[in-house]
Amino acid sequence: MREEFRLLVGLQDLDIMIKEVKDKHTANELKSMGFKLTGLEELQEARKHLAAKIPTSLLNRYEKLAAHYTVAILPVTSNKCLGCFVKLPTSFFSSAYSHELLTCESCGRLLYIP
Amino acid sequence: MESRKLASFFEEDLCIFGLRSKKKISVLQEMVRHLASVGRISDERFIMEMLKNRESLGSTGLGMGVAFPHGRSLAIKELTVLFARSTGGVEFEAQDGKQTNIFFLILAPSDKGADTYLALLSELISIIQKPKKLDSLLAAKDHASLISILGGEES
Repeated sequence: MREEFRLLVGLQDLDIMIKEVKDKHTANELKSMGFKLTGLEELQEARKHLAAKIPTSLLNRYEKLAAHYTVAILPVTSNKCLGCFVKLPTSFFSSAYSHELLTCESCGRLLYIP
Repeated sequence: MESRKLASFFEEDLCIFGLRSKKKISVLQEMVRHLASVGRISDERFIMEMLKNRESLGSTGLGMGVAFPHGRSLAIKELTVLFARSTGGVEFEAQDGKQTNIFFLILAPSDKGADTYLALLSELISIIQKPKKLDSLLAAKDHASLISILGGEES
């Protein structure tokens, strides 16, 4: 996997964690179990550093999608986009695209061939 | 969550009864490597980064010798729990400042909501709050005894 895709997936995992902490229901549940969620600023700082390593155009594409979808980038599995479950055209699987970041023609999510 | 269902998460290849690592990051790495070796995760680096970020939010070492590292990642396909035990203990920055002996590593897929793992986490925490169960878990030496503790009638 190309390094920029890897960074993007890491950013997405981090965004999901930050959303959980900001979500009152989830945060309250975790706190009631005894977890201390005191490091949100550290997480946000880590996100800032990670985002700075991603090319701006790619980051912008991700940010727009992440505003709509929990998962904005994902691997192609069983020839499908696992975001919308639409079968992808066979042209996606030619070697020319094996190292490219693809776009699902149905939902617009970013896809990569794992 | 019924106890039978809870016990079903703990498959034999998802248990480590002799953790070698003694430090926080290395014990996380050891557990993640184990999951990769049994084909449960697609990318160790994603999981490690996610777990390290989670620990920076606040240690998942709740004290009483137990920690619950957890989180969601694209690198995991289904809700997975790994049980690991260290006889010597691990310095895990636990809330009570004591060493951690048992770990429940809980990983959930990114595309599912937090509720997917919160129920499981809550159930496990309620178990360790029972002193008898906790003592048994701390002494569990094999998969059969673990299943007996998690699925048994003892309370």
